Amino acid sequence: MNFSWMFGSSMEARHLLYAYVAVWAIQGGYAGWVLYQWLRAGRQSRTVSHTDNH
Amino acid sequence: MQRSRIFGPVGAVWFLLTLAAIVYATRLGLLLAPTEATMGNVARILYYHVPHSMLSLVFPYINFAASLFYLYWRRRDPLKALTADAVAIAGAEVTVVYGSICLLTGMLWGRVAWGIWWTWDARLTSMLLLWLLYVSYMMLRKLSATGQTHTLAAVLSVFAAIDVPIVYMSIRWWRTQHPAPVFGGGDESGLDASMWPAFAWNIVAWALWGVLLLGMRYALERRRQEREQEAALQAIEASLEMAQ
Amino acid sequence: MSYLGHVMVHLRKDLRLEWRSRDAINGMLFFALLVVVVFSLAFDPTAAMSRQIAGGILWVALLFASIIALNQAWTREQRNRVLETQRMAPAPPSALFLGKAIANLIFVAIVEAILAPLFAVFYNLHIIGQGWLLVAVMPLGTWALVCNGTFFAALGLRTRNRELLLPLILFPISIPALLGMMQATTAILSGEFDPGPWIRLLIGYNVAFTAACLLLFETVLNAE
Repeated sequence: MNFSWMFGSSMEARHLLYAYVAVWAIQGGYAGWVLYQWLRAGRQSRTVSHTDNH
Repeated sequence: MQRSRIFGPVGAVWFLLTLAAIVYATRLGLLLAPTEATMGNVARILYYHVPHSMLSLVFPYINFAASLFYLYWRRRDPLKALTADAVAIAGAEVTVVYGSICLLTGMLWGRVAWGIWWTWDARLTSMLLLWLLYVSYMMLRKLSATGQTHTLAAVLSVFAAIDVPIVYMSIRWWRTQHPAPVFGGGDESGLDASMWPAFAWNIVAWALWGVLLLGMRYALERRRQEREQEAALQAIEASLEMAQ
Repeated sequence: MSYLGHVMVHLRKDLRLEWRSRDAINGMLFFALLVVVVFSLAFDPTAAMSRQIAGGILWVALLFASIIALNQAWTREQRNRVLETQRMAPAPPSALFLGKAIANLIFVAIVEAILAPLFAVFYNLHIIGQGWLLVAVMPLGTWALVCNGTFFAALGLRTRNRELLLPLILFPISIPALLGMMQATTAILSGEFDPGPWIRLLIGYNVAFTAACLLLFETVLNAE
């Protein structure tokens, strides 16, 4: 496996890295948000009313 | 809650499979696939960009189908209708996520390959318009009055679904009549055989991930719906107690 | 009463009410004029360039101006509880929608009729292509905006932030139609390319969305 090209700071390598990291961040972030909201909705006590529109 | 008993293990297995697929596909694309002749390593962005673009055209139809089911079941079977509505919102949000990634990775790739962040070519413009349509769907859901949200959103979804093919056609005509530089002209055609595994695995991996996201968002929406129903039931019970 | 009869009743009512105050038309006209002036300051086009951009500017001005009229399109109905009454009446709800949409079409058409000569003056426009096609393009484009606009204005009726919502959902859906009307107008003004495909696009768009609006209006009215 050839990792060496990643350690140059050429524009190519940088933008490639940004792109992959951005995808992981967005996908992971969205999944994380959904999971967090799901846990929060589960933990909500029965007497709390949910008035937001969604 | 029998549903969560099924969801739990199936969901966990799916998650692990998906994660494995993503890691494998990423490894193929990032490290093992041969370097592209003309563009060099930056073309590896396309292993993420193209699958996301393709998939972002599938989820709108899930949203559309779910909205149609919602409208059909609305008066006939309200419980089933709520299920359909949950699928609809999940489909819309996943569309926006995949569309955003498609636009972002496309821009990063274009910056290196063409030196510009953006161009109003047929594909990018159509993707932007698709993204705008589903963001407007989410705005409607956010801003509309409770009780009406589901129906109004379903109606807008029908309009959006009618609009999607018209958008693609019209933007393509526009660019045929007024040609402009095209980002990534032939990245789907003329693909070298040695790059196919990376593409194919990425498409599979991100499709699995998309289904996972749909399932998670659906579960979240169902939970919220149940909370609402509980709250409504409590309010009714409370008013009955007071009447006594 | 036939369907058309119902439509005419609603249409006549809207026309008569608007004629008494002429609020919407005056507001639209002045607003469109202001938009045109601002764009002229922004771009300051030469005669050749103005033929390229005038089509776009005209439709942007009309789009913004129609939003103003559409935002208050249903307030009268809301204030006077017409929509609840409509649910009890045997008249088809889509007739109410169609009557109102046609009325809005007429209002915007009046604004266009006054605006177009002003436009020609401000931008020193000489039509190089087939000018008579404008007679087809203007109503088609206006209907695309007004039909969906009246429908979405009804969508946002009981929403908070109603005025904010209308442009947010109208603009994305209307973009293909906007492209069509702007391209067709530019083609006719500059004579440089064929407006045919764009006119066909507008016709197809109008057919598809008018059908959708008529079929789904009752659903929107009974959204609760």
